[in-house]
Amino acid sequence: MPAPLLEVNNLVVEFSTDAGVVRAVDDVSFSVAAGETVGLVGESGCGKTVTGLALLGLVPTPPGRLASGSIRLDGQELAGLDDSSWRSVRGRKVAMIFQEPMTALNPVFRIGNQMIDVLRQHQRITRRQARAAAIEMLAKVGIPAPDKRIQEYPHQLSGGMRQRVMIAMALSCSPRLLVADEPTTALDVTTQAQVLEQMVRLQQEFGMSMILITHDMGVVAQSCSKAMVMYSGRVVEQAPVTELFARPRHPYTGGLLASIPRIREQRIPELPVIEGTVPDPLNLPEGCRFADRCNKVRDYCRLAQPELKPIGRADSKVACYVPD
Amino acid sequence: MEVLLYSLRKLLAGIPLVLGVTLISFLLIVYFGPDKTYELVGKNPTAEQIAEVRSQLGYDRPFVTRYMEYLREIVTLDFGSSESTDEKVSSILARTIPVSLLLALPGFILGNALGVLLALVAAYFRGGLVDKLIMGSAAVGMSVSYLIAIIGFQILLSSADGLDLFPVRGWDTSTPLAYIQHVTVPTLATVFVALGYNTRFYRAVIVEEMTRDHVRTARAFGIPPAKIFYRNILKNSMVPIVTRVVFSIPLIVISGSLLLESYFGIPGIGKVSYDAIITGDQPVLKAVVALTAILFVVAQLLTDICYRLVDPRVSLGASTR
Amino acid sequence: MNAAAEAMQRRHGDSLWNKAWRKFRHDRVGVVALLVVCAYAIVALGVVLGWWATGWADISGPKWAPLSSEHWLGTNIIGQDIFSRAVYSTRTAFEVGLIVALGATFIGAVLGAIAGFFSATWIDEAVIWLMGVLDSVPFILLVAAIAYSLQDSPWAMHIAMIATFWIGTARLVRGEVIKLKGQEFVESAHAIGLGRMTIIFRHILPNTFHVLLVQATLSFVAAIKSEVILSFLGLGVKDGMSWGLMISESTFEVLAGYFNNFIAASVLMFGLVMAFNMFSDALQDALDPRTVK
Ligand SMILES: Nc1ncnc2c1ncn2[C@@H]1O[C@H](COP(=O)(O)OP(=O)(O)OP(=O)(O)O)[C@@H](O)[C@H]1O
Ligand SMILES: [Mg+2]
Repeated sequence: MPAPLLEVNNLVVEFSTDAGVVRAVDDVSFSVAAGETVGLVGESGCGKTVTGLALLGLVPTPPGRLASGSIRLDGQELAGLDDSSWRSVRGRKVAMIFQEPMTALNPVFRIGNQMIDVLRQHQRITRRQARAAAIEMLAKVGIPAPDKRIQEYPHQLSGGMRQRVMIAMALSCSPRLLVADEPTTALDVTTQAQVLEQMVRLQQEFGMSMILITHDMGVVAQSCSKAMVMYSGRVVEQAPVTELFARPRHPYTGGLLASIPRIREQRIPELPVIEGTVPDPLNLPEGCRFADRCNKVRDYCRLAQPELKPIGRADSKVACYVPD
Repeated sequence: MEVLLYSLRKLLAGIPLVLGVTLISFLLIVYFGPDKTYELVGKNPTAEQIAEVRSQLGYDRPFVTRYMEYLREIVTLDFGSSESTDEKVSSILARTIPVSLLLALPGFILGNALGVLLALVAAYFRGGLVDKLIMGSAAVGMSVSYLIAIIGFQILLSSADGLDLFPVRGWDTSTPLAYIQHVTVPTLATVFVALGYNTRFYRAVIVEEMTRDHVRTARAFGIPPAKIFYRNILKNSMVPIVTRVVFSIPLIVISGSLLLESYFGIPGIGKVSYDAIITGDQPVLKAVVALTAILFVVAQLLTDICYRLVDPRVSLGASTR
Repeated sequence: MNAAAEAMQRRHGDSLWNKAWRKFRHDRVGVVALLVVCAYAIVALGVVLGWWATGWADISGPKWAPLSSEHWLGTNIIGQDIFSRAVYSTRTAFEVGLIVALGATFIGAVLGAIAGFFSATWIDEAVIWLMGVLDSVPFILLVAAIAYSLQDSPWAMHIAMIATFWIGTARLVRGEVIKLKGQEFVESAHAIGLGRMTIIFRHILPNTFHVLLVQATLSFVAAIKSEVILSFLGLGVKDGMSWGLMISESTFEVLAGYFNNFIAASVLMFGLVMAFNMFSDALQDALDPRTVK
């Protein structure tokens, strides 16, 4: 098997707050193969965005910091890079699309200028060439009359259009890896489906790898080959999508899947509700963090944290003492 | 053309404001103000003499007529003559406003420029020692009264107990050197007092812009910090900064330097207003109040046009407020 | 009465104040500042109760006496004890600060809440117009004009400050009320047929109390600072003694090389204003929902 494109090992991200140190990402390891799409799901606040930001060295510092762990992308170690080295990675090797398209673009510059800036940051081309490339990219993501649209300001575009612009901008540098942080959550259902479809198609066309952060298990089923489930800063299950849906090993994953609505058209703003609440990140329990909400909890679950261990024949891993 | 039409509409929309300001000041200064009859009639006046003076002063006419009279004065910019010196009010304004500008501008410019500069430094190192140092000093500066700063700098720089470098009071612009000598102490006091407020305000603006989503986007695409700073942060901070600067202009043109000018005995518009307050010189007061209101309307117009220049989301056609 | 809505509202309020108090307690600068303000308040209270500084108006020594055990900070140009005068002025500062802060906050709260509740109607327009008008009259001219029409009443300064300081509070409260009036507890109050004034003043306004508190501290500081300048210009404190009057007295003395009066008033005033500013900052931090953990 060839070496994966991205290999993350024992990643820890901490935030120091007034009340104490919060571990937003705690000992997370995973890998992404070239051309693969990996889904990252979990409840709000479990650390998905922070994980994504860490891959681009964008954890806000202070209060946050990458406390330990390694991030290897295409053979290069990213953890501990200085800011100017990070800059040559961002956009060119790994790009990120954010959740909120309404505010992600600079309101006082035309979208063309913003795209041209990004293009010329990473390629030695003239403004004219960059402009032509930008128009071409906009056409690719399905924006009609791109040569007109490029003249407009972000506020003149709809949310779906803006998110397409973000995708075009991300793809225009042909990064090896795209981190898409809930790229469609803020859009309406029809636009959501269109944008997602376009993104997956382009990802295949460009041969990129993608980490798709989402709340929507349906999206994972549709677009990803592998999925990771996070809970309270830790990865609790990681498996090929078919395997995950056929046989969820962790009780939390089981809960998530059990409550997917049958009708696919329905938009899911949040993950399905499971009884109970996430533990306070400042006051974590000794044992399994899901114990209080788990219907299979045993006494020993509360003694020590379960490790993420391989299970079954497929490439699955689970962090549970009593997996299914 | 679009800008011209817009400006006209905007000026028209400012009329209620000018009416309000003039009405309030008319009520307070003229209508409910002290009765001047007995200052003007001689000793032991006859009833006719009193009636004559009262009609000269307009006391016998109805309120509306007298207020309309004031409005007519504003429209024609003819406020009559000062009651204490008999000089035309228009010539008083023409003589004193330039003095006030020369006095106030250096402090105003320095106070804002240094404020933005310190705010940038503090925002860049936010949370760090430099930030804490700058913002701590700003808090101290904000707690010092303007009057105390003036007297303090005067003692330090102008008195025999201090360095004795500058004249104690007065005003002289005959040579550049004389100007610098007379303007330095007032400027230092002004900058000292304004800097704390300005730095705090500008830092808040800049920090807010630094934490916007589009700044993170730019970083995620590897745009270098200098470019992000200029195109994402500074450009977006311009609207609140320009607003603050433009809205302070009416006050420095008209009454901002009132304290400074009366303390140092500088013959600017502030001193004239103050003297008019003390002596109850109504024509001068009426002119000063009306001018301030008009300048506020103009300032509002200017900020709106600046908005338009900086922020494409604002269109001159749409909003009228 | 809709008990559920009330309970919800109260719970929200309680947790905000609990969290704010917890946060404030850990803010060392804020706590020290509050203690300093309390110390000043005790000094002022002592003056009111006649415990100290009773002889502030007596001529008790020679002109410009140096510091001594009898005159701790020396005497002024006509031989009055500077220490007593400075202490007495603390009372004046609190008097001005409290009256103006309470008055301005009250008017700002009422007009701001009404404008916000009736936003986008003529009532709102009228309040906005009034704020714009009062904002555009030069402050010192307004004081002078009010003093003028009140025939030199000693309250002219207070009234003028209240007439301008309420505007900032009203703007914030208006915005806050516009946000609140779409919320569930307001809608349920409408649904059970409560009167509009009851809704505004019993249900909405209490939820802006954190804004009012911070604004009151800001008005307090602004009033003390304005007093100094107005008193110097002869438009401020008419009878009694204040830091502003002391400083304006001292302008003659400093030129002759006597600084006691100036320094005493300046330092005392600086201490109070600085402490109040710090306290106000800490309060704002503690009450800011974005930073409350
Ligand atoms: N700037 C920050 N300061 C302090 N703590 C932070 C900060 N950003 C994130 N965190 C912490 O990290 C945790 C994870 O946040 P993250 O944004 O990664 O969640 P998420 O899984 O993306 O949630 P959502 O689905 O709502 O986007 C949060 O619960 C919070 O405690
Ligand atoms: Mg997120």
